[in-house]
Amino acid sequence: MSTEQPTETRQKGEPILSVENVRTSFYTDKEVIRAVDGVSFDIYRGETVGIVGESGSGKSVTARSIMRLVDNPGRIENGRIMYDGENLLDKKPKQMRAIRGGSIAMVFQDPLTSLNPVYTVGNQIKESLRLHRGMSGKEATKEAIELLEAVGIPDAHRRIREYPHQFSGGMRQRAVIAMALACDPELLICDEPTTALDVTIQAQILELLEDIQEERDLAIMFITHDMGVIAEIADRVNVMYAGEIVESAPAVELFESPKHPYTQGLLNSIPGQGLEEGGRLSTIEGDVPTPNEEPTYCRFAPRCPKAFAECDTVHPVPVEVGDDSTQHQASCLLYPKNLSKEEALDVHRERGAKGGDQR
Amino acid sequence: MSRWQYFLRRVLMSIPVVIFGTTITFALIRLGPLDPVSAILGTQYNPQAAEQIRTNLGLNQPLWSQYFDFMYRLFTFQLGQSWVIAPGTTAYELIQVYAPRTIWLGFWSVLIALFVGIPLGFYAGLNPNTLSDYVASFGGIVWRAMPNFWLAIMLVTALSQTGQWTNGFFTWQTWIVKTNVVTPPALGFFQDPIQGFLADPGGWFNSFLKATKQIAPAALVLGSASMGNEMRIGRTAVLETINSNYVETARAKGVSGRSLVWKHIFRNALIPLVPIITGEAFLLLGGSVFVETVFAINGLGWLFFNAAINGDLPLIGTLMYIFILILVGTNILQDFLYTVIDPRVGYEG
Repeated sequence: MSTEQPTETRQKGEPILSVENVRTSFYTDKEVIRAVDGVSFDIYRGETVGIVGESGSGKSVTARSIMRLVDNPGRIENGRIMYDGENLLDKKPKQMRAIRGGSIAMVFQDPLTSLNPVYTVGNQIKESLRLHRGMSGKEATKEAIELLEAVGIPDAHRRIREYPHQFSGGMRQRAVIAMALACDPELLICDEPTTALDVTIQAQILELLEDIQEERDLAIMFITHDMGVIAEIADRVNVMYAGEIVESAPAVELFESPKHPYTQGLLNSIPGQGLEEGGRLSTIEGDVPTPNEEPTYCRFAPRCPKAFAECDTVHPVPVEVGDDSTQHQASCLLYPKNLSKEEALDVHRERGAKGGDQR
Repeated sequence: MSRWQYFLRRVLMSIPVVIFGTTITFALIRLGPLDPVSAILGTQYNPQAAEQIRTNLGLNQPLWSQYFDFMYRLFTFQLGQSWVIAPGTTAYELIQVYAPRTIWLGFWSVLIALFVGIPLGFYAGLNPNTLSDYVASFGGIVWRAMPNFWLAIMLVTALSQTGQWTNGFFTWQTWIVKTNVVTPPALGFFQDPIQGFLADPGGWFNSFLKATKQIAPAALVLGSASMGNEMRIGRTAVLETINSNYVETARAKGVSGRSLVWKHIFRNALIPLVPIITGEAFLLLGGSVFVETVFAINGLGWLFFNAAINGDLPLIGTLMYIFILILVGTNILQDFLYTVIDPRVGYEG
């Protein structure tokens, strides 16, 4: 991981995964909820891309869309997910199964429940090995022990015969990571992998992920609502709000100069940052709205301290914020900064109309 | 603690339960209004004869001495003789005659419940909110809601008249093999199954078929409630499992649909079903009294019912004792199944 030179990591070659204008909707009796609405981002080899946002902003659905694990009544309706030059949305179920776990692996939020309680840890790791690498018997057992050792589980040859309930929370998350690594994936999607763990274990798991990434040149997509974790692990950050990516920037730059009012609000609501002694912690008033219609306005406007009249009539599209950086985009009518307000609005209207055709 | 130590302890701990159960039985039959002497004498009741019989049966002894005598005999398996229903016949002989019919009935009703109810429930759970799920779930509720004595009578009525209703096109009585609708099953072929089969396979199979057909309506009725239960619980269990995180993790590592169902869902969904299935033993013992009466299957349920209304004390005591042993045994079996299916169940505490 190289947080020092974030811009350089972007330059090498093709992205390993490229999400293009994906929309995933859930059809309920009452309404159609666009949990993910026109999301685009790239992930490069060896890079950690963080996705942050409040609960209900569509982070997990984005991850599940990539894995094609969106269940009824959800549907991926639009866009492309390019992996290795092929669109994952065109894959047949059987091809998709080979990719799941084989090329793209996923680690879920709650380590306490993401292992099957009635099978041994070894059994579940070996299942992955059998599925994707055709290993079985002694060979698989040996490999599974090596994997457990690689994720820092001591006494692995004994542990492998134990059941998940005999593992502690941190151990279980290590085992889940071992399972995810079993088939040498190129991309690891971590859906809030540390949320259920206490802070010291959290730090250990993050360190483990960094080590693994370095060793295997792994791309990691890291979902969390914890800005502190993102600051520690991510090279690049996408901020999600109500199904859309509202800001995308290299981690250091995002934390130093957040552009979107939502990101600014998020960073201000972290205890201890920019807080004067005795001052009150600032919050973002209100809740994330349910994105249930085509956006013709800014979804953050009702909660935005900088909102103006046009925010209710023009849908902001991702634009370069306008400083010298070419890597920093925000979906906000306040940008690009180097244009006047009217010119900026025209840019959003024009690009929005083009984007609208694709929808 | 090892598995075997655990079960040894479970067996030892069940002894007080058996003692308690048999004590309650004794209290109920001796302190209740049952009077075996009147039942034996019937209309020829006179005080001297009654006194004579009372002395002969030991009913004049102090109650505590009768109690210890009763318990001692039960626990040493001296199960005594019938007083009223078949005077002079030992309880063993009576059970030998009546039990096989009940076992045959119980066997089929458990089989129906297990092999129709559970697969149907799992199917409904794997395809939730589809038409077939609604049909199966609704059917399960209706099936569950029909009381077995009512269903039994309806079934007897309907089967008896199939000939009239279909103008002789389908008559239950003559379908495949000739049988009556209400009758105890002929289980003679069971005496020596292997020899019997080798000597005359056709005939043996024919009598097997006949006995199965004779028991089928009763088994269907007796199994119906548990079938509905298992269907409902099975559906819920599968739905719960299918939405759990470990199933999603398994899908995320590329496990195929079939392996997902059989390896990851099935075994976990069985856990809540275990007590339902073993709890049926109780249902079968109690339910068989009604069903056997309606279908005239003279089995243990029928025997118990008649022993109870006639005040046949030793027979009631013996049958209760056997029922208690079966229930306690089933409970231990249930715990055993738990430890086999679910590794989280520990042997401590």
